[in-house]
Amino acid sequence: MTIDLKGYGDDASTATLARAPGVRVRDLTVVYRTPLGELPALGGVSLTIEPGTITGIVGESGSGKSTLALSLLNAVQPPGRIASGSVEIDGLGDVVGLAGEELRRARGRHLGYVFQAAQNSLNPLKTVGKQVLDLGRSHGVADPRALLREARALLERMGLDGGRVLDSHQHQLSGGMRQRVGIMLALVLNAHLVILDEPTTALDMITQSTILRIVREVHQERGLTTLMVTHDIGVAAEVTDHLAVMYGGRVVEHGPTMRVLGAPSHPYTQGLIRAIPRLSGDPSEARALPGRPPTLGTLPVGGCVFRERCPERMAVCETVDPPRVTHGERTVACHAVEQAHDRAETAGYGPHRLDTANHRTGREELT
Amino acid sequence: MITGTGVTKTYRQRGGMLAGRDVPALRGIDFAVPRGGAVSFIGESGCGKTTLGRIVAGLETYDSGEIVIDGTPMSPLSPKRRQPFFRRIQLIHQDPYSALNPTRTIQQTLTAPLELRARHTKRPGSWVDDRAEELLSLVGIDPGYVLGRYPHQLSGGMRQRVVIARALTVDPEMLVADESVSMIDVSMRLSILALLRDLRERLDIGLLFITHDIATARYIGDDSELYVLYRGQVVERGPTETVISAPVHPYTQSLLSATPVLHGLERPGEERVVPTEALDERQGDSGCLFARRCPFRTDRCDGERPSLVHGLDVSHEHACYHPRPRGVIPVEAVA
Amino acid sequence: MTLTISLPGRRDERGGRVSPRRAFWRGVGRVLRRKRGRVVGVAILALFAAMATVGPLLYPANLPRDDNALYAAPSLAHPFGTDFEGTDVLALVVTGARYVILTGLATAIITVALGTTLGLLAGLHRGRWDTVLMRITDLQLTIPGLPLLLVLSTVWKFESPLEMGLVLGLLGWGGVARAVRSQTLSLRERGFVEAARGLGLSSTHIVGRELLPSMAPYIAMNVLIAVTGAIYAQVGLFFLGVLPFESNNWGVMLNLAVFGGGALTTPAALPYLLAPLLAILLLTLGIVLVVDAMDEIFNPRLRED
Repeated sequence: MTIDLKGYGDDASTATLARAPGVRVRDLTVVYRTPLGELPALGGVSLTIEPGTITGIVGESGSGKSTLALSLLNAVQPPGRIASGSVEIDGLGDVVGLAGEELRRARGRHLGYVFQAAQNSLNPLKTVGKQVLDLGRSHGVADPRALLREARALLERMGLDGGRVLDSHQHQLSGGMRQRVGIMLALVLNAHLVILDEPTTALDMITQSTILRIVREVHQERGLTTLMVTHDIGVAAEVTDHLAVMYGGRVVEHGPTMRVLGAPSHPYTQGLIRAIPRLSGDPSEARALPGRPPTLGTLPVGGCVFRERCPERMAVCETVDPPRVTHGERTVACHAVEQAHDRAETAGYGPHRLDTANHRTGREELT
Repeated sequence: MITGTGVTKTYRQRGGMLAGRDVPALRGIDFAVPRGGAVSFIGESGCGKTTLGRIVAGLETYDSGEIVIDGTPMSPLSPKRRQPFFRRIQLIHQDPYSALNPTRTIQQTLTAPLELRARHTKRPGSWVDDRAEELLSLVGIDPGYVLGRYPHQLSGGMRQRVVIARALTVDPEMLVADESVSMIDVSMRLSILALLRDLRERLDIGLLFITHDIATARYIGDDSELYVLYRGQVVERGPTETVISAPVHPYTQSLLSATPVLHGLERPGEERVVPTEALDERQGDSGCLFARRCPFRTDRCDGERPSLVHGLDVSHEHACYHPRPRGVIPVEAVA
Repeated sequence: MTLTISLPGRRDERGGRVSPRRAFWRGVGRVLRRKRGRVVGVAILALFAAMATVGPLLYPANLPRDDNALYAAPSLAHPFGTDFEGTDVLALVVTGARYVILTGLATAIITVALGTTLGLLAGLHRGRWDTVLMRITDLQLTIPGLPLLLVLSTVWKFESPLEMGLVLGLLGWGGVARAVRSQTLSLRERGFVEAARGLGLSSTHIVGRELLPSMAPYIAMNVLIAVTGAIYAQVGLFFLGVLPFESNNWGVMLNLAVFGGGALTTPAALPYLLAPLLAILLLTLGIVLVVDAMDEIFNPRLRED
């Protein structure tokens, strides 16, 4: 991957090390109040995001990916609430403990959030420039002119006519332009952790490809830690270096994108990849995953959340939630994978399904 | 057999950036879907693919050209006489959420058209319930589970199956599937595509498949044809696998190049094509419609518009003065 | 599919096919029980319905007078006291309910029929029909109701509540027509309406089975609002005294209490004033409490637990 560092010079890479924050999510449980009682949308998620990485969080409907993204901002809305766990962000501390003014300042300054392209997250009555100034005022920016200059530079970096866009209203911009404005608003206060929520949904293929290229370039140039939440594994594959696969409110697999896609471990990841309509490969080898993703109400209680659709279902899957097992760079939560790994190890071979590059084995219990 | 020749449609824009201007949605489209055959139309939003689907399903009129259903041209017929013909072509909407009436159970949804059919074909009333169950089984869902339920109690995939079952109540000759899988969870998309392919094989139902996601067009059967639409014009057409693996029009190549690469599983194509600028519908209509965005344009492209011609392979047509196959699609990575 | 799939809340009813009508009423019961206010609202409306139907049967045709107890204070025998002739105020309120309720019902029927028909016509036939019908609707909406009624009452005595209801209905359908039209316009673009057309289903089916059930909550809400307005309007007319005197009529009672009994200055006639006021308030409250449930009643998703 060669990245074009137009006009930003080489210091961008050193800045990466200095400023991009790491994120550590620990045993995060988010519940939603329903007539059937409180149901978990996230069931004890643990996820470590290294500084400077661009991580994709992929999952289908009901996987909890959007809830996880909102939790990073401590913005879960009632009837949902964070029941337990923590979200540690470098330079901010535990976000779950933040509230009121502190939280508002953190959003924008440290955390930039880019809303879905489909949603109209811009104020239709104000020009983009006015909204930049509003943002600056609410965060106590001393020099509004410098802020506008920065906004313009960002827009121009993304291939837009900065001056014209700042003077435009939402309806005068195309979908792809709006999405770039969204990215600009997330970055203009110099946030170094950026969360993109379905950044290309409802955009055309060619526009999507442009936006994804911009996301990747801006990530590199500004030294960010980027999280991209998407249902489209292709979109995540195109830009990310790490991939976290979610299912039923859990992260079932996490690791470098190339490895997760090239040699998926978890049966869900394997099934999902086999189910993607692709341009390469033999279409007759593709298979849909049987069954359907769970909803809050149909999520099995106890045991593995994926077992009902799993080809490798075993007795233990009915009762025991598989623990998260980390081997080197990869983390998987699956009984079958773990057993295969153990067998391989006792037989004296390297474990065949997980990475062997790093023979460090760490285990963490998943509540 | 359903054919279209020179189908055109122009909208007059009411508001927005193009207010008061005529916007051509379709500029003379020729196509043919044989009985049990499959044709895919791909392109970006605004290319006219949805308009075409609605015209073929009889939900929209066309300005000129002709739609011929089983040898009968439609434009000389009165709207009332046309209706039974267009009933043989059923549209499957993109959004399975709005395609079913939220206040009616699945049983009510299916029996209404079936009762009408029973009356027309002088079948007994008991046939209706049996047929409803048969159709649901045909689309792969348990009738006992869904019949008494309301749409909101079903998943997106199941709803889409119910929508297909409803379309089958009138024994259609062709289905128009407009982005029928784009709102369905990825893990279940293939099963809907497989169902469509299955209906073609088992019931000899034709398929007009409309999508922005070219990859899905590969899964509706290996005998399908692919049409690439750009600003209301077919710029390339041919057997689906041929067009995807050896596209010659720079627009098709740009579309294919923009498809995300599953790094780790695939390597990007060597000759990916990126348009020189973004789509702007206000662009003029002279010359090749893609010329302003085309990295390979020459003076000739600005002057006159190329029409569809074929190269060595007569089944593969393109509308380009400088056709050249390029390796733009991802290649499977060898593990 | 080999999976067992279950949905929240319906686990026990798998496959069991209850007739849709019974399921509907069961759902309505559930929705009404969901909030205590709705039960109260239904109870209030039931009370008034009973007053209107059987109320007059409980009393003699000519209510007894008691010349010894004019403007009597509330007592066990007369919970709301008596009027200027010594007639029991409660009896007057109860027997007077029929006129009010019948007027309300007539208004409701006319409002629904006219508003829905015209709204549907306008929404389904865009173009000239729509323009003409909407101009008529706008015209209706701009007619000042009360002044017109005042003028009308000089030539028409409104002896029957149905006549009153007719006039009020003719003055009140505009809002419903507008609501129905805008709903029709949005629903006709929906996939399921298009699909019904594509399947060759009749217009009667499309209107009756696809469109109307989806817009029922809007119609119901607008109608109930129109009825409330109609009740105020007719009570107002009688209160102003422009319509013929008839003792067991809430509006007339208010008029007599204020202008005859001086209820605003002397406390003696106060119960006489408050009783019909309370009845009107209670009836309106009942309507408002029930309106709250309309959206949930007609939406199967909200109807469930």
